[in-house]
Amino acid sequence: MEKMSDRNNREGVKGWLNPGRYGWERIAYWLQRLTGVGLLAYFVGHIYETSSLTQGPDAWTAMLELTQTPMGHLILLLVIGMSTYHSANGIRLIFTHGGKGLGKPGRPDYPYDAASLNYRQKSGIWIALILALAAMLYGASVLFGGH
Amino acid sequence: MMIRESQIMKIHYITAIGALFVVAVHILMRLIMPYNMSLEYENVIANYHNIPYAILLESILVLIAIHGFNGLRVILLELRQSKAWEDGVTVLTIAAMMGVIAYGTRTIIVANGLGFE
Repeated sequence: MEKMSDRNNREGVKGWLNPGRYGWERIAYWLQRLTGVGLLAYFVGHIYETSSLTQGPDAWTAMLELTQTPMGHLILLLVIGMSTYHSANGIRLIFTHGGKGLGKPGRPDYPYDAASLNYRQKSGIWIALILALAAMLYGASVLFGGH
Repeated sequence: MMIRESQIMKIHYITAIGALFVVAVHILMRLIMPYNMSLEYENVIANYHNIPYAILLESILVLIAIHGFNGLRVILLELRQSKAWEDGVTVLTIAAMMGVIAYGTRTIIVANGLGFE
């Protein structure tokens, strides 16, 4: 029997990022992963940022001077968009993994569109993207609007 | 003790839904007063002195660390598969998760005690 380590069919990151496969669902798939990795990086950075509290007011103020800048606010806007998309698309995925919204299996007729990749799934992806945009607009009004 | 992947995915989804609620409260706490004022040292320390809020911060820390590092583990396991890789990724992500939880918990405990001396 062929050993698993001998197989040479791994595409790695190239296969993961290939946008030509499966259309919007594929884009939603890698956006979910990219936003997840981005949010994890922000989370770790945020833990480090808030740890400056323990060194007193001066350390906290110095950290704020580093992060509360136009560039810092732009990064925060990106985090708002990423977290909203990741949450909304994640809820879609929870339903999908539970079998909700997949449609009924049917005979595979040409052009072989999968019943599972239906309008409910596509609507979910669009709703996630629109919510992310709306959250970023609201975030921009708070961060740059002087509220 | 072996946990089935289906059980890990249930934990992944439960931590995601839990994190949604607690992070929403955390963000609302930044918006109950002007954003810049909410970041002033005294106001932030006052948040940490509020025990229910400190518990909320700890729950955010634990929920997101579990969800985030398990998500990273899933991504890395999708990229490559071998026994050594899977074991290595699992051990590293669990160690990183525990390190982040320990470091964040330290901040919450120390900040909670600040101003009481």
